[in-house]
Amino acid sequence: MNHLVPLPVLLPLFGAGLKLAIGGRLPRGQRLISVGVLTAVLGVAIALLVAADRDGPVVARVAGWPAPTGIVLVADRLSALMLVVSCAVTLGVLVYSIGQGRADEDEATPLSVFHPTYLILVAGVANAFLAGDLFNLYVGFEVLLAASYVLLTVGGTAARVRAGAGYVVVGLLSSVVFLSAIAMVYAATGTVNLAQLAVRLPEVDPGVQLVLESMLLIGFGVKAAVFPLSAWLPDSYPTAPAPVTAVFAGLLTKVGVYAIIRVQTLLFPDGRLRELLLVVAAATMIIAILGAIVQSDLNRLLSFTLVSHIGYMVFGIALASAAGMAGTVFYAVHHITVQTSLFLVAGLIERRGGSTDLGRLGGLARMSPALAVLFFVPAMNLGGIPPLSGFLGKWLLLRAGAEIGSSAAYVLIGAAVATSLLTLYAMARVWGQVFGSSPDASGATAYSVAASLSGRDVVATSSALPRAMTLASGALVAVGVAYTVLAGPLVALTDRTGAELVGRSAYIEAVPLPGGFARGANR
Amino acid sequence: MIFSVASYFVVAAIAPWLVRRLGRNAFLVLAALAVATTGWALTRATSVFDGRPVVESREWIPQQGVSLAFRCDALALLMVFLAAGVGVLVLVYCARYFAADEPGLGAFAGVLVAFAGAMIGLVTTDDLILLYVFWELTTVFSYLLIGHRSEHRGSRRAAMQALTMTTFGGLAMLVGLILLGQTAGTYLLSEILAAPPGGTLVTTAIVLILVGALAKAAIVPFGSWLPAAMAAPTPVSAYLHAAAMVKAGVYLVARLAPGFAELDPWRPIVLIAGCATLLLAGWRALREDDLKRVLAYGTVSQLGLLTAVTGAGNRDAALAGIAMLIAHALFKATLFLVVGVVDHAAGTRDLRRLSGLARTMPITCLAAVVAALSMAGLPPTVGFVAKEAVYEAFLHRGRTDTVVLGVLVAGSALTAAYSLRFVWGAFARKPGVPTTRCEPAGALLLGPALLLGAGCLALGLAAGALDHWISSYADLFPSTGSDYHLALWHGPGIALNLSAAAICVGVVLFLAREPVLRLQSATARIEPSRLYDALVRGVDRSALQLTGTTQRGSMPVYVGVILLSLIAIIAATALGNLPLPFPRSPRWSDSAAQLVVCLLVIGTTLIAAGTRGRLPAVLLVGVTGYGCATLFVLQGAPDLALTQGLVETVSVVVFLLVLRRLPRRFGDTTRPGRRVVHIVLGALTGAVLAGVAVSAFAARTRPPVSRAFAAAAEEAGGKEIVSVLLVDIRAWDTMGEIAVLAVAAIGVTSLIFVRRDRALPRLGDRAPDQPARGPRPVAAETLVPERRTVVFEMVARVVFPTVLVLSLYFLFSGHSTPGGGFAGGITAGLALLVRYLAGGRYELAEAAPLPAGRLLGAGLVIGAGTGLVGLIAGGSALRSTVIDGTLPPFGDVHIATSVFFDIGVYLLVVGLVQDVLSALGAELDRRIEQTRDQDAERTVIV
Repeated sequence: MNHLVPLPVLLPLFGAGLKLAIGGRLPRGQRLISVGVLTAVLGVAIALLVAADRDGPVVARVAGWPAPTGIVLVADRLSALMLVVSCAVTLGVLVYSIGQGRADEDEATPLSVFHPTYLILVAGVANAFLAGDLFNLYVGFEVLLAASYVLLTVGGTAARVRAGAGYVVVGLLSSVVFLSAIAMVYAATGTVNLAQLAVRLPEVDPGVQLVLESMLLIGFGVKAAVFPLSAWLPDSYPTAPAPVTAVFAGLLTKVGVYAIIRVQTLLFPDGRLRELLLVVAAATMIIAILGAIVQSDLNRLLSFTLVSHIGYMVFGIALASAAGMAGTVFYAVHHITVQTSLFLVAGLIERRGGSTDLGRLGGLARMSPALAVLFFVPAMNLGGIPPLSGFLGKWLLLRAGAEIGSSAAYVLIGAAVATSLLTLYAMARVWGQVFGSSPDASGATAYSVAASLSGRDVVATSSALPRAMTLASGALVAVGVAYTVLAGPLVALTDRTGAELVGRSAYIEAVPLPGGFARGANR
Repeated sequence: MIFSVASYFVVAAIAPWLVRRLGRNAFLVLAALAVATTGWALTRATSVFDGRPVVESREWIPQQGVSLAFRCDALALLMVFLAAGVGVLVLVYCARYFAADEPGLGAFAGVLVAFAGAMIGLVTTDDLILLYVFWELTTVFSYLLIGHRSEHRGSRRAAMQALTMTTFGGLAMLVGLILLGQTAGTYLLSEILAAPPGGTLVTTAIVLILVGALAKAAIVPFGSWLPAAMAAPTPVSAYLHAAAMVKAGVYLVARLAPGFAELDPWRPIVLIAGCATLLLAGWRALREDDLKRVLAYGTVSQLGLLTAVTGAGNRDAALAGIAMLIAHALFKATLFLVVGVVDHAAGTRDLRRLSGLARTMPITCLAAVVAALSMAGLPPTVGFVAKEAVYEAFLHRGRTDTVVLGVLVAGSALTAAYSLRFVWGAFARKPGVPTTRCEPAGALLLGPALLLGAGCLALGLAAGALDHWISSYADLFPSTGSDYHLALWHGPGIALNLSAAAICVGVVLFLAREPVLRLQSATARIEPSRLYDALVRGVDRSALQLTGTTQRGSMPVYVGVILLSLIAIIAATALGNLPLPFPRSPRWSDSAAQLVVCLLVIGTTLIAAGTRGRLPAVLLVGVTGYGCATLFVLQGAPDLALTQGLVETVSVVVFLLVLRRLPRRFGDTTRPGRRVVHIVLGALTGAVLAGVAVSAFAARTRPPVSRAFAAAAEEAGGKEIVSVLLVDIRAWDTMGEIAVLAVAAIGVTSLIFVRRDRALPRLGDRAPDQPARGPRPVAAETLVPERRTVVFEMVARVVFPTVLVLSLYFLFSGHSTPGGGFAGGITAGLALLVRYLAGGRYELAEAAPLPAGRLLGAGLVIGAGTGLVGLIAGGSALRSTVIDGTLPPFGDVHIATSVFFDIGVYLLVVGLVQDVLSALGAELDRRIEQTRDQDAERTVIV
C-alpha cells in the first residue's frame, strides 16, 4: 500500500510532461491522458482512504530515506479523504472543461496550456495533502500556486492579467511568510519533519512556539482566505474562465484550511490561539456574507460566499475538539463539492444567458428547467437547507460548539446561524433574479443596491448547453446530494478523522523516527 | 410511514413528466397518492386514538444519534388527516383551477406534492433533527410555490419574505433543538417529553424553538409574511396558508406543551404573542378589500388564537386548541377555495366590484356561508363547538386566564365581523355596483369547497367523536378532575353567553363598517411588511458600506493588511512571552568579509527600494543576489553559490529583455504619506522577523537533522551533499520545483503569445518565426546591420559547443563535485542566451534544435518517470542506487541512478530558458520590429 502514496503526485506530473512533449497535436490524446490520469489518481486516492481508515496512516519514504533525513509522504484519514474529494472534483471539472473546449472548438481553446497546467495543479494539491514534511508542504503549495497563476491568466485578457497580477503578488507574499515561518521552525527545532516536529515543538520555549504558530497561521490564513487576509480573493477569482474559477474555489482555499488543521492539531495541540481563531471565524463568516448580498455579479457573489464559508471551517478548528475537527472536515468535503458545482453552473448560466451580471439575467427557469434544478439544489445546499450536506455540516459544527459551551462558542453559534440565513438570502436573490424574473421586466433588481447602472440589454441566449458540461455539473451536484444519502458512513468517517487528528499519536507513530516507534522500515 | 413519506418525494420527481403527458388532469392522478395516505391513516385510526401510536425507525446517522424515527400518535394522526385529506381536495381543485396551458405547471405540481410529503413527515417524525429537516423543507417548497408566478415582482418579493422570515425562525429553532437534544442526551421527541430535562440551557432552547414556531405560524412579530404570501395561486393559499404549513407552528407548540408549558417564559410568550396577533390581525382584516387578504389576516388572527390556546398548557385548553385547529383548517380551506372559484368565475377578488353573486353562484355561496358560520362560531358547526370549549378552558381560573378570556372574546367579535364582511363582500348585492357577470364553475372546481364546507357541519354534529380523537392527546396533561368534553350543545352557561355577546359585537362592527374604516386609516400607520422592507434595506445598506471598507480593490492595501496582521499577531503573542536572549557581547559576524558582504547587500536593497528607474532596480536586485551567492561561498557552500550565481545571471538578462517593453521609470502615483507608511511597514516587518529569528535559534534544544546529511551523502555514493540532497535525499522537493519551472514556462508562453493572433499558444510548436532550415549563416544576417557585432557572433558560435560540454560536465559530475542538473541546465541556457544576444531570434532558433515544449515535457517525463520506475523496481519513488562497473573505453564508472533524475532536471531547465528567451526575447523583438515597421509606413504615408 505504501507504493501507492506517491502516485497522486507522480501520475499527474508524468501526464503533464507527456502532454507538453506531445504539444498541440493529438487533442484527442491530450484529453485521454488527462481523464485517464485523473481517474487513476482517484482510484489510488480511494484505495489510500480505505487503507488509512482500516489500518492507520499509510507512510511512504520517498527515495527510501528514513525520516527525518528524507521526505515522508503520509496519507492519514484527513489527507486521504481530502485527496479523494479533490480528485473527484477535479475530474468533474476536467470533463466540464473538455465539454467547453469542444463546444468552442472554433475559438482555439487554450488546450495545451490548460491541460498540462491543470494536471500540475492537481499534483501540487495532492502533494500538499500528502506531505509529511513542512518544507515539502511548502513545495506542494508552490506547485499549485504556480499552476494557479497560469490558469488564472489563461487567455490573457486585460481583466485577467490585472486580476492575476494582484493574485500573484498576494500569493508570493503569503509564500514568503510561510517560508520564513519554516526557517524559524527549523531554527528552533532543527527539523521540518511533521511527526518529529510534533515531538520536538513542545520542548521549545512556549513563547517561541506561539510566535511560530502565529506565523504559520498568517501564511496559511492568506491561502485559506480568512478575514482580514481574504480581500484578494473576490477580486481575483471571478475573472477566470468558469472551470478555473470552479476548481480554485473548490480546492485552493481548502488546501489552506487543510494546512491549518494539520498544523493546529499536530504541531500546536494546546490551542492557545483558540480565542483568536474564534474571532477570526466569526468575522470571516459575517463580513464576507454581507459582501455577498450586495454583489451584482454572480461569480463575485459566489466568491464572497466562498470566503464566508471558510469561516465555518475555522470555527470547527478553533473549537479544538474532536467533534469540532470532525465538523470542519465534513464541512470542507461538502463545501469543496458544492462551491465547485455552483461555479460550474454559473458557467452554464453565462453560456445560456450571455452574462453573469444579475441585472442582465432573467427567466432562465422557463428557458432551461434542467439548469434551474442544477442551480437550485447546490444553492439550497450552500444555504444550509436540510437534509442537504450544508445543513449536516453546519449542524455538526453547531453541536460541537454547544458541547464546548463557552460564551465565545455561543457567540460563534449565533454568527454561524446568521451567516446561514444571509447565505440563503443571497442565493434566493440570485434564484429570483436569474431564474424567476423575465429578462425584459424592468426594475427587477429590487434589492440589488449595487446593481450595475448599465441598461438592461436583450439577453443573449446561446444554443443548447454542451452535454459534457451539463453532465459534469450534474454529476458534481449529485455527489453533493449523495453526502446526504451516505451521511451515516460519511459522518462516521469524519468522526474517526476528528478523533485521529485530536489524538495525534496515530500520525506520529506511523512515521518511523529514530528512537520512536519504527514500523515497516525498508532501508 | 417512511414508505409513505418517501413515496411523496418519488412521485414529486415524476410529477413534471406526468403533467407533460396528461396536462392539468395529472393532478387527479397525484391526488390518488393523498387518498392512499388518508386511507392508511383511517386503517390506523382506531388503535392510535385508543392510545397506541404507530412507531417506525431506521438508521441514518447513528454516530450522532439521528435516525429516521417516526411516531404517529393521536395528534400526529389528526394532522395527517388534515394534510392528506385537505391535500386530496386541493389537488383535485388544482386540476381545474389552472388553465391547461399554465406555464411551469409541471414544476408546480412536483413541488406541491413534495410539500405534502414534507408536511406529513413533519407531523409524524419523532426525531428533532428530522423534524427540522421537514420543517425547512416545507419552508423551501412554500418559497417555490409562493414564487410560482415568478415573472411578477410581487410574487418574488413575497416568496423571499416568507423564506427569510420563516428561516430566521427555523435557524433559531435549530439552535434550540440542538441544545435541547444535547441536554436531554437524545434527539427522540417522545423520550424527551417523557422525561423533560430542565435548567437554564433548556429554557433557552425552548425559547428559541418557540421563536421558530411563532415565525412559522406568522405570529407577531413575524406576522407580515403571510398576507404577502397571498401572491401565491389560490390552491397554495388554501393548502399551505390555511390547512397545513402555518399549522406546523401550532403543532409544535402543541407537541411541546405537555413537557415544557411549566417553564417560566413559556406562558408569557405564547399568550402575549398569541393574543396580540389575534387582535391586531383581526382588526386589520376589517380593512382589506381583497377577499383573499381578508382571509389572510383572518388566518393570522386565528393562528394567534390557536397559539394562545394550545400553548396555555392545561388539559381543557389542549382539547379546545386542537378542536379549533381542525375547525380552522376546514373552514379556512373552504373559504380560500371559494375565493378561487369566485376569482375564476368573476375575474376579480375585490369586494368593492363584486355584487349579486349569491344569485348567480348559489352553491358556492352555500359552501361559503356554512364555512363562515363555523368561522364566526355559530352552531351547529365545528367552529361553534371549538369556540365554546375555548371559552370554557379559560373560565373559572386565575386572573391571567380571565384577561386572556377577555381578549379571546374580543377576538371572536372581530372574527364574526370579518366573517360577515367576507360573505357580504363576496356575495351580497351592493347598491351602485352592477351585478358581476360570471361564468359557471365546473364540478371539480366546486366539489372540494362543498365537501370541506360539509365537513364543517359534519364535525360539528359529530362532536363526540372529535372529543374521543383529541382526548388521548389532551390527557397528556394532568386531569383537572372535572374534565371538559366537546359537545354540540352544552346548554346555556357563561360560555354560550360570551359567544352570543361576541357575535352581537361582531354584527355591530360589521354594520358600522364606514366608521370602522375611518378609524382603520388612523391606525394604519404601522405596516408590518414595511418594517420588513426597512430591515432588509438597512442590512443591504450597511453591508454595502462594510464591503466598501473591507474590499478596497487596492493591492497595496491588501499587502499592507497582510503585513500588518503578521506584525500585530507576532507582537501580541510575543510581547512578554518571547525570550530575547541577547548575549552581553554578541558576535556580529563570522568574518570581516561576511560583514562587508552583508552591509553591501543591505545597502543595495535600500537603494533598490528607493530607486524610481526600472533598469537600476533590476541591476541592484541582481547585486543582492550575487551578494547572497558570495555569502554561500564564505559559508563553504560553493555548490549553492554556483547555482545562485547562474540563476541571478539569467534572471537579470531576462528582466532586461522584458524592460524593453516597459516604461523606463515606475509609475509614480504613490502619495508621499503612503510612502512613509510603506517604509514603516516594511521596516517593522523586517525588525519583527529578525527578532523572531534570534529567539527561535536560541530556543533550539536538539541537534538539527542536517547533521546526518554528510553520512547520508556518503551512503548514497556521492561527495557533494547539496547535490545528493537535491537529487536523492530530498529529490521529492526537487520534483515539485521542476514542476514549478515547467509551469512558469507555460505561463510565460501563455501570456506572451496569446495576444498575437488570438490563437492560443501551443508550447510544443516550433520556436516562433523559426525559418525553414537553410544555410547556417543566414540567421544572423537577418539582423539590421547596426545591431550586428561580427566578433560577438563568431565568439558566441565558437564558445557555444564548449559551454554545452561544460554544462554536461556539471550534470554528470554533480554527485562528487559542485554542479548537478540544475546548474548544468542553466549553463546550457546561458549558452543559448549568448547565441541569442549575439545573433537575434533566428540565431536562437538555430541554436535550439528542439522546441522548448518538447524539452520541458521530456524533462518532466524523465523526472516523474524515474519516480515511477523507482516505485516499480525499488519499492520507493525516486530511490537511487549506485552502479559500479567497467565500461571499456572509459574504464571504471561509478553511476548513481539518480543521475537520470538529474537529466530530467537538466532538460527542463534548458527548456525553460529557451522558452523564456523565445517569448520574452524573440517574440518581443518581433513586436518591436513590427511597431517600428508600422511607424515607418506611417511616416511614408505622411
